[in-house]
Amino acid sequence: MSHLRTVGDLLRHFLHAQRFFLIPLLLVLFVAGLLLIATQGLSYVAPFVYTLF
Amino acid sequence: MAAVLGVSAYYHDAAAALVVDGQVVAAIQEERLSRIKNDPSLPVRAIEACLRLGGIEGPELDAVVFYEHPYAKLERVMVELVRGFPFTLRQFPRALAGQMGTKLWVLDQLAACCSVPRDRVRFCQHHESHAASAFYASGYDAAAVLTVDGVGEQVTTAIWHGEGRALRCVSEIHYPHSLGLFYAALTAYLGFPVNSGEHEVMGLASYGEPRFVEEVERLISVESDGSFALSLPHFAHHRDPRLPFASSLERLLGPRRARRGGWDLASEGDRRYADVAASLQAVTERVLLGLSARAAEETGEAALCLAGGVALNAVANGRMWEQGTWSRMFVQPAAGDAGGALGAALVGAREEGDPPPAPMRDVALGVPLDVGRGVALAEQLGLRVERVEDPAQVMAQKILEGQVVAQCVGRFEWGPRALGQRSLLAAPSDVALRERINRSVKYREPFRPFAPATLRSTTMFDGVDNDMTPFMTTVCPVRAEAREALAAVTHVDGTARVQTVRPGGALEPLLSTLEGMGHAPVVLNTSLNGAGEPIVASAEDAVAFLVSHAIDGLFLEDVILRRPS
Repeated sequence: MSHLRTVGDLLRHFLHAQRFFLIPLLLVLFVAGLLLIATQGLSYVAPFVYTLF
Repeated sequence: MAAVLGVSAYYHDAAAALVVDGQVVAAIQEERLSRIKNDPSLPVRAIEACLRLGGIEGPELDAVVFYEHPYAKLERVMVELVRGFPFTLRQFPRALAGQMGTKLWVLDQLAACCSVPRDRVRFCQHHESHAASAFYASGYDAAAVLTVDGVGEQVTTAIWHGEGRALRCVSEIHYPHSLGLFYAALTAYLGFPVNSGEHEVMGLASYGEPRFVEEVERLISVESDGSFALSLPHFAHHRDPRLPFASSLERLLGPRRARRGGWDLASEGDRRYADVAASLQAVTERVLLGLSARAAEETGEAALCLAGGVALNAVANGRMWEQGTWSRMFVQPAAGDAGGALGAALVGAREEGDPPPAPMRDVALGVPLDVGRGVALAEQLGLRVERVEDPAQVMAQKILEGQVVAQCVGRFEWGPRALGQRSLLAAPSDVALRERINRSVKYREPFRPFAPATLRSTTMFDGVDNDMTPFMTTVCPVRAEAREALAAVTHVDGTARVQTVRPGGALEPLLSTLEGMGHAPVVLNTSLNGAGEPIVASAEDAVAFLVSHAIDGLFLEDVILRRPS
């Protein structure tokens, strides 16, 4: 249930007038992120030397 | 009246802090308990320890406050990934997997971890956390507050005006223009690890001549109002996850230094890198002085509070103090991201209507030492165990004999500095002893300085009468007549990162004993940790340190442990 609260808050944040254009990207990235986690593909992408992201 | 837990996590230096009825009860960095240096993971151990020290259960918490805005952070990451396309393609999957896999859900994780309803978990802004950690802990009624780090959500630098319980942001500088990332890029160029090698660069800078200032100034332009902008073609932090600087920086300053390999400051090559470090330090100080002047102008205040990772640059803090702009200066002892946990808790306490905390006079906010467990482990390992009536007297004698001893007393420190609770101690005059500690105990570069701890009444240093010296967040000139007596703790530039010990401080018994014996009340004080390790937390950690490092004895309060003869 708490994840639903986060999803709701996230959507509210991105539905703000200056951010709504990011929603399609958000959905693509959400799926990409899930796929990487599901396939354990994280070890194949570039490592971070410093954590800005 | 409320119990509020503040948490920082998932970037670097995760921590938790507990504030009850407005007062700081505990503040603990996760690395101390997990034993992983700069541990960024959700600080479950630190949270549990804070709650235990506060004597409360998770469900009794009125609020849990995360130190930054997770959705704004995600937004910044997304915008930068799009803006930097196609250069950001390589970091795209990992950045988003990191965000979507863990970071985005941090508030849910905190609710589960603390067993509190999700609606009690909230967040504040990254730089607001930093500002609160400095201003509310300072005890000042009003102050300018300067927060400078790599990056928060979008902000990298901010000037705040603190008055009473209010903190108002006056101006901001946004990513990718960042003084923290500017310093980080040159840290990487000099072959040190980003996020932990900055201290080494600061130490190295004193050995060089700032003959590359003109070149380094081409990397960052400073406006007359104190704001600054990076020359982005020289940097890569906004598009490359592996290296924060671009090849054009090497064309400007010459080839980077290899990550590995010992330093030889007699060699021409390493002297040149020391000169680059000196130039970097000079330019960083110039930028900070500009920001300091603007903060004074914008707020009209006479006191300054500092936080953010850049505020750990003790040399720059000393320069700001020397300018005479400020009548008082306070730097949050845990100025980096760990301190954000404390700031978040203090923001939460303010929102709950609690009174401001008492001024921070002591950073012994960690887990207390359990001497019994240390003694039990020492006996199992066959170490010599001896209880003494006057540990300060015995310790003073050993230090005067040229021994290197470790002291563990009470609760461990908050922040990256050992202030006597978990310290290695030695005589401040013996340069050979300093070399021995650097080479055989700490295994670190020969240019890394050691700090002196002294009583506040000292006359051996200039300018120690300020609010920074109790926490080692600034440097002071060593008086010429004292340099021989303090040869092992005087840096090559004639300064020292002095710790002045207040009455009741962990080192006061030792320093008073030395004074009573007719010696100067000064000792060499360095953190009790080996290379690449967090500072010792528990008695067992300390016993492990004794067994694996070439020191002469370990004091667990009034118990001395030594190796078998």
